[in-house]
Amino acid sequence: MEYDVLIIGAGPAGYVAAIRAGQVGLKVAVIEKMYVGGMCLNWGCIPTKALLESAKNFKKIKQFEEFGIDGIDADKLSFNWNKAKARSTKITDKLTSGVRYLLKKNGVEIITGTARIAADKSVYVDDQKINAKNIIIATGSKPKGMDESLKNAPIVEIENLFSLESIPENIVVTGNHVSTAEIAQFFRLIDKNVTMVANSAYFMVGLDEHLITYITKKLKSENIDLIINDTPGKFENGELMIADRRIKCDLIVNCNSRKAILPESETPLELTERGFIKTSNNFETNIKGVYAIGDVAGKSFVAHVASAQGIHVINTIKGIESTFDGQIYPINMYTVPEIAQVGMTEQEVKATGFEYKVSEFPLSANGKAMIEGNTEGYIRMLSDIKYGQVLGVQIIAANATDMIAEAAVLMATEGTIYDVAQTIHAHPTVSEIYMEVGFEAIDKAIHK
Amino acid sequence: MRYIFNFPDIGEGLEEGTILEWYVTKGQAVKAGQALCNMETDKVVTDIPSPKTGTIVATFGKVGEIAMVGKPLVEIEIEGVFGAEAVAVANEEVKAPLTEPIDEGGAGVVGTMELAGSNALLAASDEGAEKKEVEAKPVKKALATPLARAMARDLNIDINQIKGSGPSGRVTKEDIQNYKPAKTAGSGVQHEPYKQPANADAVTYEPLTQIRKAIAKNMIHSKQSAAHMTLFEEVEISELMRIRDRYKKSYADKNSKLTYLPFIVKATVNALKKHRQLNSQLDMENDRMIFKNYYNIAIAVDTPEGLVVPVIRDADKLSLFEIAQKISELSDKARDRKLTIEDMKDGTFTLTNYGSIGGIFATPVINYPQAGILGIGRLLKKPIVKDDQIVVGNVLSLSLAVDHRIVDGGEASRFINSIMEYLSDPVLMMME
Repeated sequence: MEYDVLIIGAGPAGYVAAIRAGQVGLKVAVIEKMYVGGMCLNWGCIPTKALLESAKNFKKIKQFEEFGIDGIDADKLSFNWNKAKARSTKITDKLTSGVRYLLKKNGVEIITGTARIAADKSVYVDDQKINAKNIIIATGSKPKGMDESLKNAPIVEIENLFSLESIPENIVVTGNHVSTAEIAQFFRLIDKNVTMVANSAYFMVGLDEHLITYITKKLKSENIDLIINDTPGKFENGELMIADRRIKCDLIVNCNSRKAILPESETPLELTERGFIKTSNNFETNIKGVYAIGDVAGKSFVAHVASAQGIHVINTIKGIESTFDGQIYPINMYTVPEIAQVGMTEQEVKATGFEYKVSEFPLSANGKAMIEGNTEGYIRMLSDIKYGQVLGVQIIAANATDMIAEAAVLMATEGTIYDVAQTIHAHPTVSEIYMEVGFEAIDKAIHK
Repeated sequence: MRYIFNFPDIGEGLEEGTILEWYVTKGQAVKAGQALCNMETDKVVTDIPSPKTGTIVATFGKVGEIAMVGKPLVEIEIEGVFGAEAVAVANEEVKAPLTEPIDEGGAGVVGTMELAGSNALLAASDEGAEKKEVEAKPVKKALATPLARAMARDLNIDINQIKGSGPSGRVTKEDIQNYKPAKTAGSGVQHEPYKQPANADAVTYEPLTQIRKAIAKNMIHSKQSAAHMTLFEEVEISELMRIRDRYKKSYADKNSKLTYLPFIVKATVNALKKHRQLNSQLDMENDRMIFKNYYNIAIAVDTPEGLVVPVIRDADKLSLFEIAQKISELSDKARDRKLTIEDMKDGTFTLTNYGSIGGIFATPVINYPQAGILGIGRLLKKPIVKDDQIVVGNVLSLSLAVDHRIVDGGEASRFINSIMEYLSDPVLMMME
């Protein structure tokens, strides 16, 4: 028996590719070692955001008196880790069974096991030999291990966070990216002592400098101890010794930069300098008919891009005309307030030599933001001077991660400041800040 | 119900026409197929037939005015059509009338396509032939991104002419950046705006006729597209004159006029057969030459309205007598403005006989995309050297313009030598 497409890994890259393959009539199977839904559904996107939501509510309820709600005694409030975890798991279970259902519905076979690619391009799962015309590697990534000098510390991989029975008081989160800050803020929201240790070269890389400045200040203002440090620390007697500091540490959460999870392959897969699978513009590896998508290809580390890559590869295999730009995608940070960015950063715009303009509009001038008690934040729009093309948008707002979609559509369709300004936005909404910043870019915002 | 008949695109991306004559007036009954008006377009002069039977309620536009394609031409009251049926009739797509003759008891005004102007230059080419399929739909507004629109406006590009590469054919920034406009009249030419002279009577303004617009467009197109090179020759044709004189009468008896032109057509066809470069076309888009294995000789004819270029089809298969007859027929039709597009298309090489009016040498403009054009000057008595004696010769001057991209100088010389050989030795020409 021969499959048209065999997909290794059922994360957001692999399972979406599998569904798409089924939809276009390809004979398809997906090989998954353990978790259908991958990191995204099992210990990444979904469960961490579910935990964050619990933590955000834990904080917000303390401010309810302001909204006219009496009877909430802040001293009596406590965060129940296990209940929050259970809620998160319930969501995860529902979504993963949903994915299983969709795979089945679209005729995708799920094979449990670990895949090995043989020299003749067949795939072995344990001893079972499977033939396929095309192979898609979507095996994902994991955080780099901790330095040797920290190996004696109580380390938890993000993957295993949910196996913790309780949360100790002093938490150190290591890592450089948006998800590290989210995790750090989660622990802080539930009143833990939190230290975030990041590397100066990679701290929030890819974000606009304005946002990086904001995040840095924000973390510090919440008493999250942010240590930007390039030399590995040491762990001794319940303390992390780093950058001439001694920090109480009951638990280190590893949110380090990621490395590829490479499948075993008899024909060596060509890798990039950073150890990810090297692929063409159409995600084909050095082996013809073998593709790599998602984190393992190292081109992006977010679920939504991985899924888009999967759809593109299936279209390519099926011969359906498809183009993949991959430049315009939102980067979301589920902090309080949320932070989102799409398109070019100001550093990138500067590097292109475009004559550009930066326009801003603050949430403090927005009615709906006041109503909701979330006036912290702003929208920032980068546009080119000549045609007014919107080049990049950044939002800090309570619902920034949802709001950024408007900018993504605008930019995907090569929209200009005129289009966003002339689009009538409903009142009162936080989205009105788009219209305002559009007017600001053309001339002057109305409510500023 | 009232039916509004919009001026249809009668072919080849027509945008407008000039109303030459109204045949109907308000209140007049018309039958489907009956001519409504006479319209001059950049291609032809033609009658526009009524698509419906009914009564004319209104006509739009006066004689001499320009009618835009897609805009109302007449309004017709159709009796006995109501309600849903009326909607159906109103929504009917108007077929371009000229390609779909309505055969109703001799009401077939359609198909009498008259020649308007010299657009034979275009119609005679393959370019025109390709676009024969008539579309009645107006040009669709392009789907485009806002940025692409802004750029197109800025760069003065008609965005509707661009094929979009985005979803559903959306024109994107990249499409605008990659767009190279086709060479059109005036491209690359800076036009000085005309300054009104102080004395208003110093000049008289007249609107451009459709014919003149077409001539202007085609001449510029040829000059900007082909690399013109002209060479001049003189040929002694006393022998040809003797033969012509001998047979003139027998032709006249058969109601035909034997001029020099049929001989020149014959000589040209014979020479083209030997020099296929001159009967070809350059296809830059596909990086290839198109050599034509048929010989359609276009003849430029001067008319009061402007120059027209009808075609003698398959001239290699015609006898001299048949060529002579064809020339008379086409000239008559040209002067009566009765030429059809069929009469003018697919020429492969052109002759222009300016010598019949005057002029010895010229640098004729190639009937693009053909490879060459032969200009025939005035026949003069001239002193020539024959057997080391100066004698009176009958000398015909020839000017051959070629597209130097296709035809090298040597080939052009060999080609004209060949023609000269045939003209000076007409028996040889007839023998081949």
